[in-house]
Amino acid sequence: MSTGNLKEVVVNVENLEVTFGEKKIIHPVSFNVKRGEIIGFFGISGAGKTTIIRVLTCQISKKNWTGNVNVTNLSPGSKKNHSKILSNIGYVPQLEELNLYYDLTPLKNVEVFASCYGVKKKEAKKIAMELFSILDIPEDTWDNPLKKMSGGEKKRVSMAIGLIHKPDILFLDEPTTGVDAAKRYDVLSYLKKLNRRLGTTMVLISHDMEAALIVDRAAILRDGKLLEYDSNSNLITSLPSKGLVARFSIENLNEEKINIIKEFPNATNIKTIRVGNETLEVLMDDFEKNLSKLIQFMMKNGLKINAMSRDVATFRRYFQLRIQEEEDKERLIKIQQDAIEEVEI
Amino acid sequence: MMPPAIIMLFAFMSTSASITIPVKVSVVSYDSNTFVNQNNYTETTTWDNYTSKYLDAVKESELLELIEFYDASDHEDEYAMETARYELRDGNIECIIVIPVEFTELLSTGYPGIIELIPDSSNAMAIQDKLNAVQDSINIFVEENDLDPEYVLQEYEEFSVPSKYNFRYNYNMTILLPFMTFGISFVLSILVVVQEKPIARLLLTPVQKAEILLSKYIVYSIVLALQVFLVLTVAIANGLYIAGSVIDLYLSLYMLGFAGVSLGMFISTVSNTKTEANQLYFAFFIVSILLSGMFVPIDAMPDYLQTIAYMLPLSHGAPIIKGILSKGKSFIGFDFFWLLGISSVLIILSFLVINRKRYEV
Repeated sequence: MSTGNLKEVVVNVENLEVTFGEKKIIHPVSFNVKRGEIIGFFGISGAGKTTIIRVLTCQISKKNWTGNVNVTNLSPGSKKNHSKILSNIGYVPQLEELNLYYDLTPLKNVEVFASCYGVKKKEAKKIAMELFSILDIPEDTWDNPLKKMSGGEKKRVSMAIGLIHKPDILFLDEPTTGVDAAKRYDVLSYLKKLNRRLGTTMVLISHDMEAALIVDRAAILRDGKLLEYDSNSNLITSLPSKGLVARFSIENLNEEKINIIKEFPNATNIKTIRVGNETLEVLMDDFEKNLSKLIQFMMKNGLKINAMSRDVATFRRYFQLRIQEEEDKERLIKIQQDAIEEVEI
Repeated sequence: MMPPAIIMLFAFMSTSASITIPVKVSVVSYDSNTFVNQNNYTETTTWDNYTSKYLDAVKESELLELIEFYDASDHEDEYAMETARYELRDGNIECIIVIPVEFTELLSTGYPGIIELIPDSSNAMAIQDKLNAVQDSINIFVEENDLDPEYVLQEYEEFSVPSKYNFRYNYNMTILLPFMTFGISFVLSILVVVQEKPIARLLLTPVQKAEILLSKYIVYSIVLALQVFLVLTVAIANGLYIAGSVIDLYLSLYMLGFAGVSLGMFISTVSNTKTEANQLYFAFFIVSILLSGMFVPIDAMPDYLQTIAYMLPLSHGAPIIKGILSKGKSFIGFDFFWLLGISSVLIILSFLVINRKRYEV
């Protein structure tokens, strides 16, 4: 867990492509992870997040992927590097019940996993106690069976185990899964705490957008394609009017009414997201100038606005808009293809 | 499906076993047909030799199978009895029929004949069968030679449990020890790999699959060593008679237990779920018990069942242990090396299977 040069690249991926049989799971993706960064991979199920992490953690055979991949300056493509790469990385899996010894105490669990890295018992205990303290795992639970701990505590023990050998980079698979909503922020704040205190480089995959709160850069994946890879602020400010959002509560909101708003003639780049039964968020260019005109336009067209507020878009909104945009593109392409086919027939 | 399959197998085995298997015997004859006249030492008398006639009766009897005949008369074969005894110990024959020196003389002079029988008494429950079989040969001999039916069948039991030991306890222990050792080691190792959930995470450390399996083998071998020691200590403390060496018994029990561990580990690596492992365990264990020779002698089974029986560890482990306990045999022998072979094959297979198996976190 060195806190060295922030510019140092720990993971470098160029044109990674993953194929299983005939099916292409990952289309060429390129990205890097620098030392000390927290990187988040976001996407819905089947987006390819886990597949990318599996390549990086030597879980997918080289015959299934191509591209130039380096993890801690070693390629997972060569089997002889696997042992070294696995020594240099830590991994915190999604489900504790499948990845920890529930009948053993947290300290015994640490001992088992530490021995796999050749960390001696005494040293492992010392590091574990330090990590447990950072992660606020109550001392009176250290010698109790793990099964008696709460979900959040188990998750933190799992994180400590991932760091027991002081890896260069820690991979976390859905770190907030299985933790109740109230404790999700706790888990995320502990990750940030570890990153700050120990300088741990982290790569996490999640479909929980709250995790974006702690990441330095976020990758958005859809159907094996890397749509975006940038910092949260850069992604949000790339939205119309740097992400300024008008939130309307509209009576009997339906698709017809949304289409009316989309046809507002004064502003360009209008984006809408339905966030509730009767709530719609609208983004557009020249937000300040066009907002009052938009309201007038809506009223003129018979839309009854019950309430309205303004805000700055969150990462969740960015993610939704970006995915929506991609879906719209695909839909358009499909319509065009169908039209061409019809003409040919 | 298993219970009906077991009943069908058992019924089939029992039907095929109803065909009588002849008792394997060797005949040692000290009989001499030349006798010195007691009143005149310069004269000798020669009578018809009844040994060869008795041998004909043995061959004729459907209840006996003559394996070897040793002519020990007139110092022809000095070590006949010793050789026959080794055969008896090794299980190649089930009893020795001894024809005494005065056999022909007594018969020729109208006295009742004497035949001595030395049955393998390590299986006390089967002694009567052996006596009946020999009696059948005597009946044939008497009938065919028109002899006085008054015969004396003297019995000297070999390899029986000494009187100071509890016969029933020792008889049961010859069955219980191998079954218990094999069964417990087998059942304990059946879930070792399949049940260990964090294996996938362990594989995201520099540890290899083979190392995980090897560590399991080491731990279970140590546990087995302690377990066998405990079982043996308790068995001896309760009056176990061991004709052979305690060390031989320990090593043979350990080897049988290790075969159980290997089989359990193999099933554990092959299985994808606990249920699958338990079902395979049940199937293997029941078949092992049924074909172990406890219910039906293996030799009485159809050929293909014998082939299966001899491939299973228990069919080899049980005779070794019985041999050490009752006959003082050594553990080294074909059965021991077969157990070693089975274990080695299962270990190799389990490593091959685990190396091909996919684990995902």
